[in-house]
Amino acid sequence: MSTDGPIIKASGVHKIYNTGKVEVHALRGVDLSIWPGEMVAVMGPSGCGKTTLLNVLSGLDDISQGEVIIDGVPLHEMSDRKRTRYRAEKMGFVFQAFNLLPVLSAVENVEMPLLVAGVRPGAARERAREALALVGLAAEEDKLPMEMSGGQQQRVTIARALSNEPAIVWADEPTGNLDSETSAEVMDLLCRLNKEKSQTFVVVTHDITVGRRSRRILRMADGRIVEESRPETG
Amino acid sequence: MAKLFGIPINQFMTATLVLLAFGVAIMLVLALRDRVTFKLAVRNIPRRRTQTALVVMGLMLATLLFSASFATGDTLTHSMRVHAVDQLGQVDVVVRADVRETSGRPTYFDQSYVDKISALLSGDPAVGGVAPAILEQAPVVAPASRLSEPRVDILGLNGTAMTSFDKLVDNTGAVLQVDALGAGKAYLSQEAAKKLGVKPGDTVSIFLGSRPRNFQVVAIYVKGANPADEVSMVVPIAQLQMLTGQRDKVNSVLISNKGDALEGARETDAVVASLKPALVGTGMIADPVKKNALQRADDNGAVFSDIFLLFGQFSIIAGILLIFLIYVMLAAERKRELGITRAIGAQRSHIIRMFAFEGAVYALMAAAVGSLFGVLVGSQMVRVLAGAFGQSDLKLAYVFNWKSVVTAFAMGMVFTFVVVLISSWRVSRLNIVRAVRDVPEPRAERTSRSRLVILVLALVVGLLLTVLGLRSDEAFTFYLGTSMIIVGLPLLLRRFGLPDRATFTIAGLGLVAWWLLPAEALQSIMPKMRQGIEMFFLSGIVMVLGGVWAITYNSDLLLKLLVGLTGRFSNLPAILKTAVSYPLQNRFRTGITLAMFSLVVFTLMVMAFIVHSFSSLFDNTELLAGGFDIRAYTSYSNPIADIRAALTDVGGIKADDFEAIGSMTVAGLQLKQDGVDAEPVNYFIQGVDREYSDSVTYEFAMTASGYNSARDVWQALQREPGTAIVAANMVPAKSNYMVGVQLPSFQLGGFYIEDKKLPEVHVTARDLRTGREQQLRVIGVVEHSAFYARGIMTSQGTLDSLVSQSLPSQAYMFRLKSGRDAEAAAKALKARFLENGMQADSLAAEIRKNTATQLMIENLLQGFMALGLVVGIAGLGVIAARSVVERRQQIGILRALGFQKSMVQASFLIESSFVALLGIAIGILLAMGLAHNVIWAMSNDLGGVTYQTPWSNIGIVVVVAYGASLLTTFLPARRAANVYPAEALRYE
Repeated sequence: MSTDGPIIKASGVHKIYNTGKVEVHALRGVDLSIWPGEMVAVMGPSGCGKTTLLNVLSGLDDISQGEVIIDGVPLHEMSDRKRTRYRAEKMGFVFQAFNLLPVLSAVENVEMPLLVAGVRPGAARERAREALALVGLAAEEDKLPMEMSGGQQQRVTIARALSNEPAIVWADEPTGNLDSETSAEVMDLLCRLNKEKSQTFVVVTHDITVGRRSRRILRMADGRIVEESRPETG
Repeated sequence: MAKLFGIPINQFMTATLVLLAFGVAIMLVLALRDRVTFKLAVRNIPRRRTQTALVVMGLMLATLLFSASFATGDTLTHSMRVHAVDQLGQVDVVVRADVRETSGRPTYFDQSYVDKISALLSGDPAVGGVAPAILEQAPVVAPASRLSEPRVDILGLNGTAMTSFDKLVDNTGAVLQVDALGAGKAYLSQEAAKKLGVKPGDTVSIFLGSRPRNFQVVAIYVKGANPADEVSMVVPIAQLQMLTGQRDKVNSVLISNKGDALEGARETDAVVASLKPALVGTGMIADPVKKNALQRADDNGAVFSDIFLLFGQFSIIAGILLIFLIYVMLAAERKRELGITRAIGAQRSHIIRMFAFEGAVYALMAAAVGSLFGVLVGSQMVRVLAGAFGQSDLKLAYVFNWKSVVTAFAMGMVFTFVVVLISSWRVSRLNIVRAVRDVPEPRAERTSRSRLVILVLALVVGLLLTVLGLRSDEAFTFYLGTSMIIVGLPLLLRRFGLPDRATFTIAGLGLVAWWLLPAEALQSIMPKMRQGIEMFFLSGIVMVLGGVWAITYNSDLLLKLLVGLTGRFSNLPAILKTAVSYPLQNRFRTGITLAMFSLVVFTLMVMAFIVHSFSSLFDNTELLAGGFDIRAYTSYSNPIADIRAALTDVGGIKADDFEAIGSMTVAGLQLKQDGVDAEPVNYFIQGVDREYSDSVTYEFAMTASGYNSARDVWQALQREPGTAIVAANMVPAKSNYMVGVQLPSFQLGGFYIEDKKLPEVHVTARDLRTGREQQLRVIGVVEHSAFYARGIMTSQGTLDSLVSQSLPSQAYMFRLKSGRDAEAAAKALKARFLENGMQADSLAAEIRKNTATQLMIENLLQGFMALGLVVGIAGLGVIAARSVVERRQQIGILRALGFQKSMVQASFLIESSFVALLGIAIGILLAMGLAHNVIWAMSNDLGGVTYQTPWSNIGIVVVVAYGASLLTTFLPARRAANVYPAEALRYE
């Protein structure tokens, strides 16, 4: 991984959704740079394009115009196959709705990215257990998601996102479905891991308390980044 | 088809239509009263057209099976009716002597009877005409062409009396007058002329005795000679009287009812009743030939329909499971919507109504498509049957009766809708909060009191059935009872903490183990019980249930094994884990789909095993033919006095070519078993000579005490006058898996073939000609595989004494010296004895021909049963289509985690494969186990049947069922692969 420049660089990124009847201009020329090990919060009102930005930066969605460079590699020029492989190797995801696979146990959910990346089942299980221990859920590894609380499920999601030791972790409203106490615990965990592992975290949130825990806040409105700030505590 | 399940089709159709009309009326009233619910229900149908198509495809199968079975029955009924009418024409009733002469020739009576009958029926409005006739059968030879026909129906008719009967017509349409024929002139049927290679003007010789009589063929007719087969000849009645030496005598009075050939038959009962007073005490009977032939046609058609329906039952059960599965999935898909509907005030009855309305429309579509599609399937089945019947005179012409199509539609609609109603009631039981939040329903409460009561009751009933079965020797009752106990006990223990996995594994494996216990082991500890085809159905359902339980509650172990084995392949463990975890977690869906597949595959495979194992018996022609190579019959009109003496080296065949020649005589007698309450039955007894007894190699299923070997019994038959042996199908059996097989009219009673030791059985034989009675002692029951020792046999001496005269031999069994060709020898025998009307066949060739016919019918039956696989395949398609919608978001996660499109597609395909292959494997393995026991039991009755694995059938089922499953899930899998991750993740 290159450490000289930004790990994430977006230039003039546009995203237009064509629903057949109307065109929705979700991103209108976004430019940003995020450096390795940073924890950046993307904030803004509903419908401002936060999730769309996360999707195009992570390669989950195509862009209509502009360029997205991840660790020096132009993501927007990659085929779906290469982009998927790149995601499996370099990225981790944490979603608002936890998005665990309901039919897999906690440890099976966590080992899934490892298996996708081609790690042998035995080694994958070992690393998944370690990741679960890291988020304090070693004892819950055989539970199905429906048998766990919201906070526990989100911690499993975090363990899953980190199990493959990705360079970038994308978190879309990671505390959106949690009460304030659990939210704080989850954010503590994310911040601790960010510090310990030096991984880059991009957190999409509309919760200012979450935003304040990051090093930098990017504010969005109408598909553009309109403000950049550094919170006093982070 | 005139009957279904023994009920006249008209009544059946009316009953199902009334039921249908009642249901439709109720639904219409409900729809009018609750239009909102109706609209809500119906709008779901066009929403997902592919899913609707799959649902209709799954639901229509039962109707299709009904319709195809009926169409096959209709065709057979129609073809047999046509055949009957072709042979009988306008002849509805034949008055004749009740008993034939001992030689087999029809008994003649004075021609004055004809006048009496004519006078009696002269004013009868139902009667169209009465005519005297002589009906004979004789060999005919054409000297010019050197061709012969061993059996030609010879009709002696009186032209003036035949005005109300069929006209003899030649191929130009000209009517041929019988009375115009001079002495030594005859008309010949087109078929007879073809077979004999003669044309008008040629001469043919008839052997109505040892000396031939020549006739010149004046013209060839294409129709009108009734009652007779296609190969026939017509001469004036006076000439036939002269030829047979029966001056002023006839052997039949033909009666034609008014109306056409079919309509006339309806008046038969009235005509026969009118004749009765004149026939009492005369030894004459009024034989309603047309009505009986039509009745046989109707019955045989119904038997075919019933057989196909019987073997279609597993598919119908699979169809019920599919309907249930579809409803559970529809309810799951709309769970939130249903929860909200309930939350805003809808009653449970509204939900039931909503699903019932929707189901009624599906059922309507499915029944309509199924009944029509069944007609097409039926036409293909008839094509196969036509091939199977190709060797016989019966020509199959495909027809279907609109009543059958309507009945199939109504039955299918009623059947589907009843299952839909039950399913609707089941899915309406939802918790509103859980439904709105789309939270899974908790596992069923283990501690409810009502469930405990049901469980205990089931155990008690199981125990009672077990005891009852043991006491009454009924296998079905016994095995049903024991199976209920095997399931009930672990379920009871579950209430006291036994984990689910242990509960269902014990119950499942317990059932499978109990049903697959080696029959050899059980034989020593269990009494032999009565059992029939119903055991096949019970075993299938119970074992599949057991197998599916055991597998679904332990398939995680299978998954671990799979992941462990595939660990070294990149990505495969990840794909396998997702592919297999879904069916593992959705045990209900998986279990039902597995059961659908397993049930159908199980039945197909058991059938294939049995057919295959029987083929080893049919290959053993030596065993089936009893050590003989050729069977031959001669005409009663010109029997052979001494066959060995006649076998001089004429026509390339001589007595030296044969190692043994067994001769048989035959006589019709009235039989009644002593000490048994049964009506006497007119039956033919065969008398075998010493050479037959010394040469035959058939073994016995039962022998009377005092006889140590089969040879002992055969020799005692000659040594001890008044002894007889009977065929195995004349003795009741505890195990009777035969379906649609006609048993001989004379049946023994009071013991079972499984008893092995024959008790003292006596049969009184009465000669109706003399009234003389004599007792026969049954000393053996020939084994089932004695294909050519049917009916009841005694020695020629005993039979001669029964009829008080020396009977001529009319049938022969030949054993050739080694190295001689049986088919060539049979041909030579026919040529040598053509004036005796000898029909000779190589037994090996005949067995091969019969086996081929039987195999075609069995293959057709298997093909019909395989239609049930459509259910399983449709089930997988429904699940796959539903899964794509249900797991859209999860597919998004997988894509985010690095699953390539191909991996998502593979995951879906492997998921379907997992269920399909497991279902197929369960079906095959259970069938292997059950077939072992069934074939072992059969081999006890039929030596020569050996367990054989039908590898080709297994291969076909695996490839076709699995291939079709993959095809059905291919589209949903591709759709899943194309789910766009960013959109899917937004989809909540």
